[in-house]
Amino acid sequence: MRAKVETVGEPAVASGTGTQKGSAWSGFLRRTWPLHVMLLPAVLLQLVFGYLPLGGLVIAFQDFKPYQGIFHSPWVGWAHFRFMFEYPDSKQVIFNTVIIAGLKIVSNIVVPFTFALLLNEVRKQLFKRTVQTLVYLPFFISWVFLGGILNDVLASDGIVNNLLVSWFHIEPILFLGDGNWFRFTVIVSDIWQQFGFGTIVYLAALAGVNPALYEAAEVDGASRWKQTLHVTIPSLAPIVIVVGTLALGNILNAGFDQIFNLYNALVYDKGDIIDTFVYRTGILNGQFSFGTAVGVFKSFVGFALIVLSYRIAYKLADYKIF
Amino acid sequence: MGNRKKSLLLTLTTLLAVSLTACSGSNSGNGGKDGASSPSATASATASASKSEEKGDGTGWDGQKYATPITLTTVKGIGTNYFFKTGETIENNVMTKFVHDNLGIDVKYNWVVTDTNDAYKTKLRLMLSSGDKMPDIISFRGDTETLNMLIDSGQFMEVGDLFDKYAGDTYKQGVALNPDTWLPVLRNSKKMALPILDYAYNDDMVLWLRQDWMDKLGLQAPKTLADLETIMDAFVNKDPDGNNKKDTIGMAMGFKNGFNVWMSDVSWVFGAYGGLPNQWNSGADGTLSNGSVDPAAKQALATLKSWMDKGYISKDSALKDEVAGAEMFTKGQAGAIVGRNWLPDWPFGDLLNNVPTAKYKAYPIPSGPDGKIGAPSGNPSVNGWILVNKDSKNPEAILRYYNYFFENWANPQPGSAFENGFAEGYDWAKLPDGTITKDPQKYPDLFPNYADRTHLVEPIYYTLTFEGARIPALYADTMIKLANGGTPETPYEKQTAGVRKKENIDAMKIVLDQKDIRMKNYFQGPLTDTMKQKNELLNKLVNETYNKIIYGQSNLDEFDKMVANWKKSGGDQITKEVNDWYKANASK
Repeated sequence: MRAKVETVGEPAVASGTGTQKGSAWSGFLRRTWPLHVMLLPAVLLQLVFGYLPLGGLVIAFQDFKPYQGIFHSPWVGWAHFRFMFEYPDSKQVIFNTVIIAGLKIVSNIVVPFTFALLLNEVRKQLFKRTVQTLVYLPFFISWVFLGGILNDVLASDGIVNNLLVSWFHIEPILFLGDGNWFRFTVIVSDIWQQFGFGTIVYLAALAGVNPALYEAAEVDGASRWKQTLHVTIPSLAPIVIVVGTLALGNILNAGFDQIFNLYNALVYDKGDIIDTFVYRTGILNGQFSFGTAVGVFKSFVGFALIVLSYRIAYKLADYKIF
Repeated sequence: MGNRKKSLLLTLTTLLAVSLTACSGSNSGNGGKDGASSPSATASATASASKSEEKGDGTGWDGQKYATPITLTTVKGIGTNYFFKTGETIENNVMTKFVHDNLGIDVKYNWVVTDTNDAYKTKLRLMLSSGDKMPDIISFRGDTETLNMLIDSGQFMEVGDLFDKYAGDTYKQGVALNPDTWLPVLRNSKKMALPILDYAYNDDMVLWLRQDWMDKLGLQAPKTLADLETIMDAFVNKDPDGNNKKDTIGMAMGFKNGFNVWMSDVSWVFGAYGGLPNQWNSGADGTLSNGSVDPAAKQALATLKSWMDKGYISKDSALKDEVAGAEMFTKGQAGAIVGRNWLPDWPFGDLLNNVPTAKYKAYPIPSGPDGKIGAPSGNPSVNGWILVNKDSKNPEAILRYYNYFFENWANPQPGSAFENGFAEGYDWAKLPDGTITKDPQKYPDLFPNYADRTHLVEPIYYTLTFEGARIPALYADTMIKLANGGTPETPYEKQTAGVRKKENIDAMKIVLDQKDIRMKNYFQGPLTDTMKQKNELLNKLVNETYNKIIYGQSNLDEFDKMVANWKKSGGDQITKEVNDWYKANASK
């Protein structure tokens, strides 16, 4: 979003200076210096808090001891990275992360997309707005609270299990105590929390579709269904690609807040993800260097995937995000 | 134009200045170390001025106080239990004046931080990593990892000789009560920090049962695990709450955070078979072994699994931490819980809110089939540490300070200065009829200048030793005296009799009656090298296997595989390191 604003701003400035020749640069500066000054704090902020701390990443290659600091801790090369891949649980943890994050990414595109299409067909504005707001609400509740609520609701004697037991006469399901059910619970609860936000994005995109297209389709005798198929969906394709591309960078982020507040030792084999694993080793055991090494690894994979999907999006959909 | 240029210049300069301070503030890559850098050089300068040494022992101490006041520098995290009068701060309050006037010690704070979200710990760690000069003393209460960092920084002195020479008798007796007191801070048999003492036996476990259920179903006090199983069976199947629904469970347990926790505990089941999990137990031959892989644990797991199958413990136990586990008891669902003597204060108040007719009573921890009993013994009556800078001019000053509070505050006699509290108008006041009040809300005139009347301002918390001083044996001794029907005489005894519930006092008697069942964690040292690398792996292995066995998701024989795996994944190495440490430090 931020990138968009900046690209909008630049051409406006450039067109103002385009007519000047010769001392174009100084003229440009004279006219636009207040803008640059206004930009300065943001740039500095970004430098100080965004880029300067990147230097701290060197501790991934050190045996970092807080009392020795960055400058005096001994260097250990790739030892932490080697340790990460030799760690017996690493494969399992990375696999869990990719599976959970992958399913989340897919479902967080499909569900809000479908929901936005359906909601868009609703004629009553009041109903539409109310639903839109209601589904958006969970997005603002933190996982600390949601975790507590889910732990209660999904307990073996909680509401959900009471209903299931009385309707289907089955044994209570351990939603959070059984590996396979745990993944299911994590993904469904994540969709429930997130899809309101996605819906709003798609609804906004829908509002931007040129009405002339629908009118033309109607003149050609297209039904509502055909209009959706041939006008709405193609118009939304770019935004789906943008959302999907940006989400792909998060393939190694399966949602620390959520998993941390829901998981327990029973579901380690199916639910333990990179971030919770790093929390236990890095923070609880004070292995800061190791934690940083995993973070660096994650960032590189995420970066590579974003670049890759950007290229693909450009090739296939002819769409430029940046 | 000139005007505009000037204003531009001004803007730029301001921005530059802002950016410069921002940059210098985070040049260590960690950010926000501002304020941590005021060096204690000035402090030591003033301290050296006190070398008058007319009489006494050459430190300027005349027996009562430092004749020429000395300065003691420190740092402080202000906890949420700190309340101040209007106009007072940690740097300037009734306590700092008192200490100046009576002990000749001026306490100077190099920095002060509000201790939320571990801010104090974080700032200490930052101070270490940025290589700042350390203050004369640091009092630290918190995780062992930070304590070890402080010790290993090499900035602090060995305190053994200091303690022998300057510590008062009360302090020395308190430390001697538990032979393990020094263990966590020993480095090559050298004592690296002074313990801040707390009341002993406060962390020991008892079995709490719903006495109204016991009476209703006509059940006898449990002596063994088998007795307890009979009781839990009755709690589950005989509808103790009388609502004609099978909605009760035997015991509230929560093992999300492990199998050796401070409330809703499970570890005593393991103790009934001979060894507590997740700690280092001493074997017959004097070597230490980890209780998690002890064969006894397998039997305990089999027992727990049968309890789970029979519904004695909740299907959600693996999802509950200590507090969530206890909620099963306090909402009237579970009939038993294992926890500490003070549970009547919290959280059992909730039980009485939810089930007004509920009654609870403490029982001894039951024994296993071979008559073994074991429960965790908690910390050895220490709740913090004081580190003394090796460059400190008056390293003995903190001991004088602590001694004073041991002699005068910890157990004041009737008629002494601290009989009612620290200072009149602060934490106590006298009504016209002579009775003592501690209610600032009801008597605003007697407690002037309060900023927040919902809390009593207790200056004793401003001390360098957190609560002035606590004599470890005092709490238990007083409780026993009260349990045996003694009349409270000293101010401390009267106060204890006033605030402690009868169930609490009885529970403390049980704790002391069965203090032989205490199984302490023999390893109290810093994490060994292999621990740092493998602890997470091993803990996960143990917790996952335990949980799955109890839930029937794995076979009981999985335990043996887990043990073999544990040993070859670093467990054997850690066992060796732990025993090396034990030989080097504990046996002396």
